[in-house]
Amino acid sequence: MAKLANSRRDFFSRISDGLNGAALAYLLGKDFLLPERLLAVEGQPQIFDLKPKAPHFPPKAKSVIQLFMNGGPSQMDLLDPKPALEKYAGQPPSRDLASQIRQVREAGGIMPSPFKFAHYGKSGTEVSELLPHIAQRVDDIAVIRSMYTTHIAHDFALFLMHTGRILPGRPTLGSWVVYGLGSENQNLPAYVVLDDPKGLPVNDIQNWQAGYIPGVYQGTRVRSEGLPLLNLEPEEEYPAAVKDLGRSLLHSMDEAHRAKRPYQPNLDARISTYELAARMQMAATDALDLAKETDATKEAYGLNEETTASYGRRCLMARRLVERGVRMVQVFTEGNVWDHHNDLRKGLSYCCQKTDKPIAALLTDLKQRGLLDSTLVVWGGEFGRLPIAQSPGPTAGRDHGPAGFSSWMAGGGIKGGSVYGATDDIGYKAVENPVSVQDFHATILHLLGMDHRKVVFQREGRNERITDEYPVNVLTKIIA
Amino acid sequence: MIRILWAVSRSGALFFFVPLFDYAQVRPAPRFESDVLPLLKAKCVSCHNSKTRRAGLSLETRDDLLAGGKTGAAVVPGKSVDSLLVAMVASGKMPLGGKPLTIEETSAIRNWIDSGALKTDEQVLTRPIRAREIFAPVLGAKCVVCHGRRVQQAGLDLRTRASILKGGKSGPAIVPGNPAASLLLQKIAKQQMPPPQLQEQFSVRTVDSAELEKLTQWIAQGAPDEVESAAPVNPDFDPMVKPSAREFWSFRKPVRPKVPAFASARTPIDAFLLERLDAKKSSFAPEAGRLALMRRACFDLTGLPPSPPEVQAYLADNKPDAYERLIDRLLTSPRYGERWARYWLDAAGYADSEGGVSTDAPRPTSWRYRDYVIRAFNADKPYNQFLQEQLAGDEMFDWKTSKIYSPDQMEKLEATGFLRLAPDATYSTEQNFLPERFDAVASEMEILGSSVMGLSLGCARCHDHKYDPLPQRDYYRVSAVFQSALDPYDWLIPSLDCVGVGSKCEERNLRFLPDPDPKVVNETETFNAPIKIQIEDLEKKIEAAAEPYREKAKKDATVDELLKEFEPLKKTVTDLRKSLQQAKAKLKPASGVRALFDMGGEPTPVRILMRGDVNNPGPLVEPGPPSVLSSGLRPYLVEKLPYESGTSGRRLAFAKWITQPEQPLTARVMVNRIWQQHFGSGIVKSAGNFGKTGTPPTHPELLDWLATEFVESGWSVKKMHRLIMTSAAYRQSTAVTAEAQAQDPSGALLSRFPLRRLDAEAVRDSILKIAGRLDLTAFGPPAAIEVKPDGSVLAKSGKLGYRRSIYLQQRRSTPVTILDTFDAPFMSPNCVRRGESIVSSQALQLMNGDQIRESARYLAGRIIDAVGLDTRQQIDQLYLATLTRTPTSAEVQAAERVLLAMRRNWQEHYETTPPSEPIAAKASHMALSSLAHSLFNSAEFLYVD
Repeated sequence: MAKLANSRRDFFSRISDGLNGAALAYLLGKDFLLPERLLAVEGQPQIFDLKPKAPHFPPKAKSVIQLFMNGGPSQMDLLDPKPALEKYAGQPPSRDLASQIRQVREAGGIMPSPFKFAHYGKSGTEVSELLPHIAQRVDDIAVIRSMYTTHIAHDFALFLMHTGRILPGRPTLGSWVVYGLGSENQNLPAYVVLDDPKGLPVNDIQNWQAGYIPGVYQGTRVRSEGLPLLNLEPEEEYPAAVKDLGRSLLHSMDEAHRAKRPYQPNLDARISTYELAARMQMAATDALDLAKETDATKEAYGLNEETTASYGRRCLMARRLVERGVRMVQVFTEGNVWDHHNDLRKGLSYCCQKTDKPIAALLTDLKQRGLLDSTLVVWGGEFGRLPIAQSPGPTAGRDHGPAGFSSWMAGGGIKGGSVYGATDDIGYKAVENPVSVQDFHATILHLLGMDHRKVVFQREGRNERITDEYPVNVLTKIIA
Repeated sequence: MIRILWAVSRSGALFFFVPLFDYAQVRPAPRFESDVLPLLKAKCVSCHNSKTRRAGLSLETRDDLLAGGKTGAAVVPGKSVDSLLVAMVASGKMPLGGKPLTIEETSAIRNWIDSGALKTDEQVLTRPIRAREIFAPVLGAKCVVCHGRRVQQAGLDLRTRASILKGGKSGPAIVPGNPAASLLLQKIAKQQMPPPQLQEQFSVRTVDSAELEKLTQWIAQGAPDEVESAAPVNPDFDPMVKPSAREFWSFRKPVRPKVPAFASARTPIDAFLLERLDAKKSSFAPEAGRLALMRRACFDLTGLPPSPPEVQAYLADNKPDAYERLIDRLLTSPRYGERWARYWLDAAGYADSEGGVSTDAPRPTSWRYRDYVIRAFNADKPYNQFLQEQLAGDEMFDWKTSKIYSPDQMEKLEATGFLRLAPDATYSTEQNFLPERFDAVASEMEILGSSVMGLSLGCARCHDHKYDPLPQRDYYRVSAVFQSALDPYDWLIPSLDCVGVGSKCEERNLRFLPDPDPKVVNETETFNAPIKIQIEDLEKKIEAAAEPYREKAKKDATVDELLKEFEPLKKTVTDLRKSLQQAKAKLKPASGVRALFDMGGEPTPVRILMRGDVNNPGPLVEPGPPSVLSSGLRPYLVEKLPYESGTSGRRLAFAKWITQPEQPLTARVMVNRIWQQHFGSGIVKSAGNFGKTGTPPTHPELLDWLATEFVESGWSVKKMHRLIMTSAAYRQSTAVTAEAQAQDPSGALLSRFPLRRLDAEAVRDSILKIAGRLDLTAFGPPAAIEVKPDGSVLAKSGKLGYRRSIYLQQRRSTPVTILDTFDAPFMSPNCVRRGESIVSSQALQLMNGDQIRESARYLAGRIIDAVGLDTRQQIDQLYLATLTRTPTSAEVQAAERVLLAMRRNWQEHYETTPPSEPIAAKASHMALSSLAHSLFNSAEFLYVD
């Protein structure tokens, strides 16, 4: 028995995204003993596919929409009010804060927030005036004010935030999620990335790479303008009749080729990828067709205003995708847009105006459709910012602050209206219930019904996990 | 903080930086005895007390926690995040077998550590400070860049206690026992040092309060030195490596096994394989068809299909040794090196960019190493020599005294590029701190481990290897071999600015050895001279434009400061700077070799870093190989070399050690990878891990036979190809019978040849070759790539856009889409075995990708040029070109029917949308190209029998 299992594993150490998982299993059923179901959790799976897998325990959420605010949004100007900054305004920072400053020559004194905060909702969570729409949804949101990270530069902090390590080449959270759970919809990519047409974030496509786990778990970039998927259609298609002739010839050639080569499951797998590619053309086009939405919905997401239209489109696409069973959707903002070294007032307002209304609309829309319970919405960047001014003056900004920053989660099992953790008086460092990136990842996996210790990939004899050997606390206090 | 204030004011300093408030002091600081000890007593002290000391650790007093145990300090004052104690209890790993600490308890420990880890009645933390805590993480990280080996500003060298006492221009840097009188401390306390205006440029930060406190206390305690030497390692009696661990198969030298007597075996390889198959009452599959075998051999050795004339010539060759001569021909083809270098470059982690950070700076001369590898494979350079050059080429001759490098010497320098391949972000001043430098070194060690030694060396960076007999000490011993070239405390940055001429740091950069050939130097200088004048001129113009504004602002204002204030200046300067940028871009980089070389002088001592943490330096180590690999080997012995370069000889000794014939891993690892490329999977499947967690060899005797044969043949890779490819095992067909499937389900016993998909480069290169578009220009700078608006990455069209894939620029951040889709690896840091995925993006790429359709058009055009419009001949040629065979009559009939129908359809199409060319010709061309497109998409094209 053990021997059989081994050879089966060897046999299956192949990778495919077609529906062939089942086909393969059927094909081989005569020769091997198959497990009851194809598990992709707890130990190495035998087929690397995207079929839905059972979680470890009943999940709170089925899908995730991660609204990634690349660049490092300023916590003390958005979600973490610090009145003490007024008291210390202009004073030099402590030596320890000073030892973290990179651009020493530009560093100024303590800088209060130029924005006003107020209490909102039943919960009374404090939110800055920059986020008037999200403020209306605070009762659905759990704000985490005590995030911290261990690197001060974008590149490394982004790798850490997405993969759990500061080095490139590792699978991202989204890859682990679809590796563990597969997807409910086999005609769409399981892990979709909606990037901003204005530019990719720092680290480009490495933000959604599968690293050392099979490429089938990589994020698929879906464009919100033009052809949604790379090579979904040719630049210039052959006349329909030619196309059909070519395809049917190809099909018969491949069938004949396969018939002469029994016991070669790769050939079946390959044929099924051609079938999936064809289905994807229809499914992706339908899923991303916003013309099918009502005017009221379009209005709510801000599609009719220039400022919000671009981000609004992507939020709306995200909803349409999770509605169709896509497991993981990441929405990125342009380039490094939250990186306000200069002119925080102007820059932060720009980012908030662009995203605030669409995000609030997404939460409302998901709730109205009964999808918010099963969809975890996650907001945040790779780090926060320092309480001191950078290039002091009317156009002052803030430099990167890894020691303490804010994120939030909503829906998918989250206790709305809650606030978790705290930074010190000036918002520099997480001091109460500090939340590591690993805690953050483990919590997301937990809400999806997975134990982070059991989502494992074997690489050259080592058991790899997103949380590696780091100490981890799942944030049970923000879970409903 | 209080202590320093007192110390400095007594010394008469007028001002120094005092924070006006201290956020940590808002709450009263918790104390060990009252806030932490009770809960440790309840849950931890029963194992960790001064008597039992589990893992060398006692938790009874605060100082016990600071002293720590086997894996270093349990607590880092002020940094709960970095404290092992917190890591262990928060993760639930500790208490071992007991009830985990509550969140409240963990928080109490965290708060205590973050507020300074104080005892009762202690204002600031006091404890004995060891010199290593000062030299490595404080002075080493923040001062020696300007006061060290290469530069000694103000005549000051801060690398040893003696040199600190000697001091510089202003006298001794410290007065032991008297912090107040110690110049070093004053400068740091006043934040004059490290100078704020230089911190960014040199990647150092202000000394933080815990470090300052440590330094103060160390001086107050008399600045005690540590008198220590590395514990000697006798590999044959090493208490850290159990004798039984040395018995593991891969750590024992391969003994040439007797070849089993098997009458039907064509070659020794077959005898070993048949012995196993026979035990299962199975055997090889019948020999593959002639053309199938030809196609297989061509792809295996050159990565390209044979051309139709080559196929016809081969078919016409009736001599019995036609196949053997085919192999010889392929092995002498220049295309062979381009194919097999690729696998080595995978294992070595080659890329044309630095990686690490998003700018992913190009490595403009990295290609010299790539070319070195291609030439080495083509010339069948013996593998032992190939390795020695890569590990220590610079120590094989005295490069400093060479006026001109001979071609052979140039090769030796280029070869050392091997140790410069890891992702390395330190070109960015923001990523050039100690941890990132150690990371870059660790990546080099990981590459060396997996590609050459078959060991997961990297696992022993932070702790003893969990499965293999590799103590953490041995990781640092191996890294010490490379210390005099890869020294994190004396780091050569791969700065791009420094590559080019005309930059400030040109003369001391860095990773390049300049080509001393006066001809080369003159050429570059002549080319650059007028541009340099232009640059100087532009720089003067910028200054001149700014000058009048200085009077309105500050005298010493920088141009950038002025720009913020004066709008009109901005426009002028922006334009000038743009021209400056353009001029700089025109400069020809100094011709040099991106090499690894010994920097000379006494290398920084290497210490074990506890938990891999640069702030946690442990005992000293000496250079040396892992002690588990010692029995029967000549020991690692460093000989001083009489060179002017002052090279340490450490790497040359290692290169000799690792290539001795008895070395148990070197030959095995390489022959296993050669086998893997021929058969899809190695005899050891985990090609980079021959340790306990690797997969055991399927045919251990065969592996050892091949390894010993490899060494005896003079480490000739080409001889191994010939040996393998002439075996019956290699020549068998891919057909699987029901019986073979039952006896050898995975094919591991080689009861048939594996059916294999073309790999990434083979897909792209062969489509281009078949279309007649492949540009065979070899060597030199890579062909540029571009990112299209739709996100796809491809070779820039134009002159060199159709070169073989190995010559395309390989940037880590933007992999060429078609190669990425077909599993070209992401180098992080390297890849010893590629994946083989079957995903829909491959179907989409081949079906809809413009390059494929374009190639199909070219192919159709070529065929029409050769045979005209005769459908039968067209189809014959098409099959021959794409599938290396002629079609059967049934296939011809089917294809002909489709081709004619396609012509009609294209005809109709062009009648409604007329093209510029005559309709009939265009329709025939497009019909054949549509048919060719289907063949490029067929399984038979993509899979090699």
